Order: sequence, then C-alpha cells, then structure tokens
Amino acid sequence: MSPIRFLAALSAALLTLLSLPARADLKVVTTVPDLAALTRAVGGEHVDVVSLSLSTQDPHFVDARPNLALALNRADMLVAVGLELEVGWLPTLQQGARNPRILSGAPGYLEVFQFVRLLEVPAGTVDRSQGDVHSGGNPHFLYDPRAALAVARGITERLATLEPQHAESFRANLAKFSEELEKARTGWEQRLAGLKDTPVLAYHRTTAYLSNWLGFQTLAYLEPKPGIPPNPAHVARVLGLGRQKKVKLVLQEEYYPDNMSRLVAGKIPASLVTLAGGTDFRAGQTYLQRMEELVKRLEQGLKKARGS
Amino acid sequence: MVDIPSWDVRFEEFPVSSSSAGRLAGLAAVITTSLSLPSAAHEPPPEPNAPEEAMSAEELKELEEALGQDASEEPKNGTSPAPQPFSLPTSVDFHGLELSFILDAALAAFTAEKPLQAGAHDPRVSGFNFQQLELAIGTAVDPYFRFAGNIVFSQFGVEVEEAYATTTSLPANLQLRAGQFLTRFGRLNNTHPHAWDFADQPFTHGRIFGGENNRGLGLELSWLTPLPWFVEVLGSVTDASGEATSRSFFGSEAGRLASPFDFQFTGAVKQFFPLSDDLSLLWGLSAATGPNPTGYRNRTDVWGTDVYLKYRPLQGTGFTFVSFQGELFYRRRQVPENLLSDLSGYAQVVWRFDQRWAAGARYEFGTPALGLDGRLAEDPLDPEWNALRQRVSANLSFWPTEFSRVRLQAATDAAGWKEQPDYSVFLAMEVVMGAHGAHAF
Repeated sequence: MSPIRFLAALSAALLTLLSLPARADLKVVTTVPDLAALTRAVGGEHVDVVSLSLSTQDPHFVDARPNLALALNRADMLVAVGLELEVGWLPTLQQGARNPRILSGAPGYLEVFQFVRLLEVPAGTVDRSQGDVHSGGNPHFLYDPRAALAVARGITERLATLEPQHAESFRANLAKFSEELEKARTGWEQRLAGLKDTPVLAYHRTTAYLSNWLGFQTLAYLEPKPGIPPNPAHVARVLGLGRQKKVKLVLQEEYYPDNMSRLVAGKIPASLVTLAGGTDFRAGQTYLQRMEELVKRLEQGLKKARGS
Repeated sequence: MVDIPSWDVRFEEFPVSSSSAGRLAGLAAVITTSLSLPSAAHEPPPEPNAPEEAMSAEELKELEEALGQDASEEPKNGTSPAPQPFSLPTSVDFHGLELSFILDAALAAFTAEKPLQAGAHDPRVSGFNFQQLELAIGTAVDPYFRFAGNIVFSQFGVEVEEAYATTTSLPANLQLRAGQFLTRFGRLNNTHPHAWDFADQPFTHGRIFGGENNRGLGLELSWLTPLPWFVEVLGSVTDASGEATSRSFFGSEAGRLASPFDFQFTGAVKQFFPLSDDLSLLWGLSAATGPNPTGYRNRTDVWGTDVYLKYRPLQGTGFTFVSFQGELFYRRRQVPENLLSDLSGYAQVVWRFDQRWAAGARYEFGTPALGLDGRLAEDPLDPEWNALRQRVSANLSFWPTEFSRVRLQAATDAAGWKEQPDYSVFLAMEVVMGAHGAHAF
C-alpha cells in the first residue's frame, strides 16, 4: 500500500473515532495537585480532575511533556495558581492544546491567586537582578488553609458558572469542605501554638503564608536570592544568624536539594522539617490529609527541637 | 507619518463601560449569527439566550441600527471614562505582548584556516563572534489568532526569521499557521539557538537545508489526532527558495514559480510516549519534497526520523536529567542524468547533573553523494564533499540562572576530503532578557 493511501485510510478511521462526544463529567485540569484536591473536594462526583504536576515536582520547573497538552486538549476547565508560577511551561501547553475553552481569558481558565490576600507583593519595581521574584506577589499560598478555603470558594463559583445544573451540589460540597477544614484548622492551630514567634530558616521563599498563618518568624533563606542556589558565604551568614537567634526549625520542600539544609540544621542545631510540595493527589490524598501530614511534620520537628 | 494608535486608547478600552459592553454584546451576537462557528458545541452554557436560531430580517436591521448609533457615539464616548490604573504583571508583559531579547556571542579558536561551520549562527571564525541578537515576539492577535515572530539582528543587518500567525480556535483539533516560519521537519529544525544543547547547529541542517534551517513563506496545517496517546500530523507548503533556507531545493535560484510543484511540501508525524513519570519518548517521521534548479522538473526529496528520549526523575530534586536526541536524514536529488543520494545524521547525549551544570556529547556524520550506480558522484552543492565527514563535539554548560548561560565546547571535525582533522574550541555566552519564554518539550 502506498504511504499516501495508508495515511488516508488512517485518517478516515480516526475521523470516525472523533465523533464520539463522550461527555459525562466536567473535565478539569489543574497545574498543581493541591488545586486538584480542592477541585475534587468541591466538584465531587460531577468533575473529573487531573493534575499536570506531581507533589514531588517543583511547580516552577515542570516539563511541558506533550501528554500534558493532550490532557488540556480534552479539558473543559484549567485551574492554575497564576502570578507567573507556571510561566515556564503552562503557556506552551495551552497554546499546543488546540482548545479555546482553556485559553487565558476564556471562562474555562481560572487563575486562583485572585481569591487570596497576597503577601510579599514587591513595593517598588522588580527586575531580575533580584532573582526569581514574582512581581505579582508570593504564589505559594496553598500552605495556608484559610487561603485554600478562599480558593475552593472561587473554584466552586466557576464550576457553578460552567455547570449551572450542578451548582447546588458544588455549593453543598463547599459548605461541607469548609466546615471540615475550619474544624481541622482549629485543631492544627492548637497543636502548633508553640510555633508562634519561633525563629525559623527556610530554603526558598515558600513559607510566607505558612508563617502568616502559624505566626513563626522566617529569619532568612538559604537561597541568597529566590531561585539562586545557596553559596558558602551566604550560608555561613545564615548559619551565624541562626545560631545567634536560636533558630529551632529549618524548613524546605521535598523537591529542593537538602544537603545544605541538613548541614545548617545540624550546626545550629535545629531540626530540619521537610515539607511535601503538595497533596499526593494521584494516590487519593485529600487536601485535609495533606495538611494533617504537614502539621504532623512541623509538630514532630518542634518536639525534636524542644527535646534537644 | 504612520498613524500608530497610542497606548492611551488601549487603556481606555480596558475598563469596560456599560455602553461598550452593550456594543460588544451586539457585535458578538452579529458575529455568532453570521459566522455560526462549529465550535459552538464546546461553548459553555452561560449565555442562556445565545442566538442560535436564525434572526428575522427586522431584528437584524434593528441590530445594525443600534450598532451604527453606537459607532457614531464613539468619539464622545472615547474621552469620557477616565483611564483606571491597573497593575502590569511585569514591565514587559504589556496586555499579553511578550517581548524578549536573546543575545548569543562566542569566543572561538579553529585550527582550520577556513572552518567548515555550516550554521549561520555558529561561531565561524577565530576570535570573537557575534552569533545573533534575537527578538522574540508573541501575543494573541484576537480571539482567533496568535502571532509569533523572531527578528534576528546580526552585526550588520536585520532579518525576519519567523513571523507567522497561528489559529487558536479552529474546530476538530486543527491548527493553521501562515506567514514565514521554520518548517517542523524533525526536532531541531524549527528551534532557535536558545533551545540548542550545543553552541552550533549540527552540520546536517546546514548541508541539507542551509545555515538558517529550513523555512519559508507559506502555510501549515496540523492536526492533533484523537488517539489516546499524543499523535500530531502536519503538512506545510512553503516557497522553495533561499540559499540559507532551502539550498537542496531552489536555493538561491529563486523566482521561477511555474506550477504548484515549485513549492516545497513538508509532512511530518510526531508521537509522544510517556513511558513512565520519569521517562519520555518523542518520535517523529518527516518528509519534504521540492524542486531543484538542476533541470526541468528535477526534484529533491528528504526523509527524516528523529528521536528524543529523556529521563528526568520526578522524585527528589528535579533538576537532573539525561537526554538522548538523534536525527537521521536521507536525501535524494534528481540531477541531469543521475540520481544523487546521501545520508546524514547526528546523535547527542546531554546530562544535566546539577541545577546549574550540564555536560553534552554529540556525534555527526554525512556520507558523500552517490549516484545511481552506487559510485561517488559529483555534488553540485558541495563539490568538495567526496568522502565521509564526521564530527565529534563535547561541551560543558553553566547556567547562573535560567536567563544566562556560559558554554565551553570543543570539537574535532574529520572531513574525509581534508588531509587532517580540524579542531575547534568555543566559549559561548547567552543572555535572555524580557518575557519569560515557556519551553517546548
């Protein structure tokens, strides 16, 4: 068979496949797994949720693998953090997906930063000599359950716009989620009351919202500037500061190298707390379970620091 | 003087006043009825009264009149809403207009008097080399098109490498590109130096297509198939002239478009297999055909295949990866009383072993052109190429941040027609300013 004929036959076969409008649920794709967990919580049975990245991945640096574009091609809604967190990879996927429903500006595209009271919004002008500063504000707000609730509310409203027939169900789910989360939050706050005003160090500027919620003081970061890996001179300064201020905890995400944090924590001494980068959504974890785990790790770290 | 709309006008468009919202709604209604785009099936249901049903003539007339009234009110309206302050996400991201400048320069040393560097942006002479200053532009034109452009400044000139519009809302997973663009033959052809793992391009591209890679003015249609894995099929028609862009086709002998067969036709199938979370495989098949100037209806065909295999563990620190990339080109040219064929290819391995560091190695080869009888034939494009040429390069790259890069590269180039191999060393530098470009896989 000539290649052209083969191609024609293949195209014909594919075109018949094309005409299958399988449309049971609203297909939602999120950039990070925390957003997937929140969408699942409020969307319930009416949404089919996929996250483009895993909790073990640094959301700044995700590979734009073409299978992700395929997921977006079939999506009805795309939920992103925004604030240029995903700028290095999401636009490529959006443009390659051939799906006008999820392009920026379409009703199916939602950036959730708009629902959150943002922290670390640079006051003056920002340029890249300051490192990888997010000029719109710090995008790592999903560590704060209060911000997560606001985001869940925003997602609910958008879902209700896209699927008005299920709006009641979405709002009921939100009410339930809100109640559970608020209850759990009170418990978490009690367990971590000891963190208040505790001096800590962190690797990257991901702790702003966590510290705003729990009241600890982030004195310095191991990265000399956001996105710039630690160098000896800077780490020595941070170590000195850590000792002087009697730092109890060193915080960092799983997806950052931990040699330096380990070293610094050992020398201060303080306890190193490694935080999961997000919800392990693919394994079925919920946002509440993810936060429970995070609180537990902080609690253990604090206990260890007290004990020593 | 050319009348360029000032930014102020655009500011005023930003806060949508109620009257302009009404105008927009009217316009939208007219457009929906007149175009009735087939994508309506995908549209979310927020507008309960979207005018799906045909409008009566009176209603249409009413609409037109309303539109006419709005239009006549415009000048008065245009001045009334005070420009409201809004925050720009970055200094360069102006209403989604993304601009970035990329500078590539190198210090090079060659043992050869006349190095065989084939790429137009390669380091080509001993001493300092200005490789390029590239201005990349990207923006949404309107709800139907996106624009992308690559304007390249060399030391003494400006060149429009790419300037094309891509559709954003064609139905059935189709996408159309029109303008001047690099064809999507293989993996490397439609990329710019910023995306390369080496300081120069493999000589395969310079030999087959020209120093600028294969590009032209034309049209491209691509289709993302509904198969469960990623399969993209595309075809393009481009002009076949240009010494540095289509040298195996018309090359510099331009301007003889006698029939549609004087265009270059390119087709490709690209497939992606996520073998696991960590392992990705991209595989492409490409073919191009076009006229060559050696005689009436003489043609050149190029077939190619490309493979990109990347291992990047998603557990632990996600910076490190190992990738393998290879492309093979088989070229056949009709020349007077003969049919020339040759094979070229390259294979490279890159190992990013740290957030900031990567090492790479590359092997390239190109056979001489053989005639129908299987013997060495005279190559009208590269008369000296009468033996196998091989080149091996190795490099080490350092990224202070993702916006800057320093690269040390060494190569040995064994061209069979030269008595001894040539050696070269480059120290290349790249800086990227402006919008944060997103990277293709």
